[in-house]
Amino acid sequence: MARWFDRFRLRLRSLFRGAAADASLRRELQLHLDEQIDEYVAAGMTRVEAREAALREFGPIARIEEECRDTRRVNVLSNLAQDLRYTLRSLRRQPLLVLAATVSIAVAVGANTTIFSLASGLLFATPSAKDPDRLVRIRVNGNSHVSYRQWQALAESQALGGLAGYQIEAEVNWRGPESSVTLVPLIVTANFFDVLGTPLAMGRAFTASEASAERHPDIAVISHGFWQRRLGGDPAIVGRTLMFNGRPYTVLGVLPSDYRALPGYGTAPEVYLPLTQELMPDLNVPRAATVELFGRLRDDQTMGQGRAALTWAGHNVRALLNDPKFGDVTQFSPAGGVKRMGDFREVGAFFALLLIAVCLVLAIACANVAGLLLARSTVRRREIAVRVALGASRSRLVQQLLTEGLWLALFGTLGGLLLMFGLMQLIGRISLPLPIPIEIAARIDGRLLAYSLALLALTTIFCALAPALQATRPSLVPALKQELWRFTHRRWTLRGVLVVGQVTVALVLLLTAMLFVRNLGLAASADPGFDVGRTVVAQVTFVEGRYTQETREAFLRASIERLNALPDVELATFSHSVPLTIRSGMTTGADLRLADTGESFRAQYEVNRVGPGYFSVMGIRLIRGRDFTVNDRSGSPTVVVINEEFATRHFAGLDPVGRQILLPGAEEKAYPAEIIGIVGNSRHRTIGESQKAAMYEPFLQRGNPGRLVHLIVRTRTDPASAVRDVRQTISEMDPSAAVDVQPMRSALAFAFLPSRVGAAVLGALGALGLALAMVGLYAVVSYAVSRRTAEIGIRVALGATRAAILRLVLSDAGILAGCGIGLGLVLAAMVTEPLAMFLVTGLSASDPISFAAAALLLVLVSLAATWIPARRATRIDPVVALRDE
Amino acid sequence: MGKPADLIQGTLDLLILKTIALEPRHGWAIAKRIQQMSRDVLQVTQGSLYPALHRLEQQGWIKAQSGRTATGRDAKFYALTAAGRKQLAKELESWDRLSGAIQLVVREAE
Repeated sequence: MARWFDRFRLRLRSLFRGAAADASLRRELQLHLDEQIDEYVAAGMTRVEAREAALREFGPIARIEEECRDTRRVNVLSNLAQDLRYTLRSLRRQPLLVLAATVSIAVAVGANTTIFSLASGLLFATPSAKDPDRLVRIRVNGNSHVSYRQWQALAESQALGGLAGYQIEAEVNWRGPESSVTLVPLIVTANFFDVLGTPLAMGRAFTASEASAERHPDIAVISHGFWQRRLGGDPAIVGRTLMFNGRPYTVLGVLPSDYRALPGYGTAPEVYLPLTQELMPDLNVPRAATVELFGRLRDDQTMGQGRAALTWAGHNVRALLNDPKFGDVTQFSPAGGVKRMGDFREVGAFFALLLIAVCLVLAIACANVAGLLLARSTVRRREIAVRVALGASRSRLVQQLLTEGLWLALFGTLGGLLLMFGLMQLIGRISLPLPIPIEIAARIDGRLLAYSLALLALTTIFCALAPALQATRPSLVPALKQELWRFTHRRWTLRGVLVVGQVTVALVLLLTAMLFVRNLGLAASADPGFDVGRTVVAQVTFVEGRYTQETREAFLRASIERLNALPDVELATFSHSVPLTIRSGMTTGADLRLADTGESFRAQYEVNRVGPGYFSVMGIRLIRGRDFTVNDRSGSPTVVVINEEFATRHFAGLDPVGRQILLPGAEEKAYPAEIIGIVGNSRHRTIGESQKAAMYEPFLQRGNPGRLVHLIVRTRTDPASAVRDVRQTISEMDPSAAVDVQPMRSALAFAFLPSRVGAAVLGALGALGLALAMVGLYAVVSYAVSRRTAEIGIRVALGATRAAILRLVLSDAGILAGCGIGLGLVLAAMVTEPLAMFLVTGLSASDPISFAAAALLLVLVSLAATWIPARRATRIDPVVALRDE
Repeated sequence: MGKPADLIQGTLDLLILKTIALEPRHGWAIAKRIQQMSRDVLQVTQGSLYPALHRLEQQGWIKAQSGRTATGRDAKFYALTAAGRKQLAKELESWDRLSGAIQLVVREAE
């Protein structure tokens, strides 16, 4: 221990007193010389002879000094400081090189850190809270939600430091300054802010005592974004009232602008309302799925102890809840970091794909810089040879050349981070068709810093190691002899290999981009099985409690009558869900039974409740039987319509129309329904899904407990022109309802969102990779042409035609690009398989069209990149070229 | 703690440690002493002596102190540290083992 410390002290001393240590060493060596000379003189030599003999014997003093310095290991540090200064000075004389390298790296690092920030912000954000490390996400009995009573019972047990819940799927109508708007608030238990402990930007948060559901609290906390966007940043907002679902709520406070909400994924709920019966009608239903749980560990609790305490508490309230199975804690995980596992897998895989793609772009950019440095080291060959001759060791030279790379990487990384901030600003402005705003702020945190440092190190090594090793090859000593290889040409230089690598990687990137672009194309042109070009969708959200079952039906019937009377409208109907939107209906899995034969089968199918004429309005083909009419209502015989897939799956060879089927009803009671028709297949949840079975029930017959309904209108003309009339008509009939009207095509934006994002991001990365690789190819070819000026001059002088010269240059570039493309195709065929999970069913990851298109595009662009230097080669004048000799 | 050293380097370290075991010496005197003791068989060049001295100093086995040479010059004298003494014993032991082993092999071969 003590020796370790001693050594450390010695090294530190020699670092800070490097000059003193050097002087001491020199004195020591001088003394040695002097003693030797004395001895020789004593032995009878003259002073001059003695001196010469001693010096001869001594050998190269500089080398001994250098070796002694090396043993003081800190050399690495002091050398680094020296190299940093030296290389910065020499780079200053090469502004173009620095600029080209910086831009190249900055673009790639910018893309890289942006993707990383997005992933970090969307997937791994730590929620804004006091001591967020002590927050945990909790699931009980495997359910994502617990009921209000279950939460209450668990919270009162005080098993943890605090236990709160939230609900992020319910909607409220907010009466805005112009019209009613549907918002998705975060509906929270009264103690939400107490457990979270977040400081507010303005005003205060509500406390558990004032916000308990039993007091019917009418207070709200709003997000900074909501305050700015929707309320114009009103400085006197605290204390004012906002109307939600027709009830006045007093604003208590405004959250800070950089607030990261607890649900994660970058979601930024606009309004925080305390949980009440008014907002969640099933508040007192014993086992309703009302809130998701999170808790705060007590200061003296570990994760394990907290989990055990909660499980114990859960088992203790079984009797109280009259639920003998309640209380098994199935998830107890930190609130920051990986969120809901189910969703996470695909999103995570997508981000992993993006990170791989941006790292490939970075590799291409690094290869460019490596190419530049290689070209430069050819020029510096003599300098390096001289330094080797003067006693610089290879490792010392490599270290210095790496330092040069470090500067370039540093400039590039800093530029990249700046670029990232710009990109994140732009991304922040994109509004997504989602019900809750997504806010991701770019912030320099430890994670981003660590990632940037890793990138910096990788970039340095990728850019500078190969050139450094190449430049310091021992065989380079002949460079001293002024040998310049003016008339020789080697195709497989290290630069050539780098370019092949770049083209290979670019092809893989390009192919990935092609697949995603093709995917978007196929998705957009895919026939969803219903008409998207001729309909308008109005999503109508009623105020809670405004209608009874009967009055709402009256409202709906009256609405379609008035809509049908509009001049542009061909036919109007209503439905509970609209396929391919966020509200695309529910999936049911049930045991069904045929009433006549008693045969029962397990079926999984989509369910939608639709109004009369739904199939005509949507343009879904009626294959057999009839559409629903206004007479299919409560009281009349129960009927359903199934789709083709349902019929082929479960009625193979039989005619289902006219049959009675037993459907699962409420409280486990089956009820019979007659199948009155079969309609064509269509898409339900995603455009790329495999065909789903579906069942349609009459809206008017089965009722609908929600506050949400869609009115769908088939227009005679362009649907966009009907939007205003439709909105006005509905608003006149119920001014308190939130109405969102848009043409069907734009309402489906949500379904295309993943393909759009995929195509946009990977398309951009593919283009970026292509551009960088082509810069590399261009640079290598132009450099080769300039190196071969004399050779080409001789060839021209000997009678080579322009075409021959063109062929000469193009064939060289062609071999490089060709090898890259060939390797890329092989590599791509091996690695693209996992992409299949992101693609529509019709598109295979080894899609020949994408492969062909990527290869062709690369060939064309390579040709373009080579053309300019090749043309230059044909213009070489032999007289000028050879005069330099 | 020390790095695996090849025979030559290890031997030079041993020679140096042994040479200064009795009294501190400066670089030239160490080289001279090794030469004399080996009856001019072992010639330690400056190129290996000084890096070795610095390495041993870094290892903490010897320490430098200032002193005056026989010719009246100020010089850096190297002396064994306690750790150096232990290291010397260790190296002597392994040298004995090694040279004994080589002897055995060489004799046997004759």
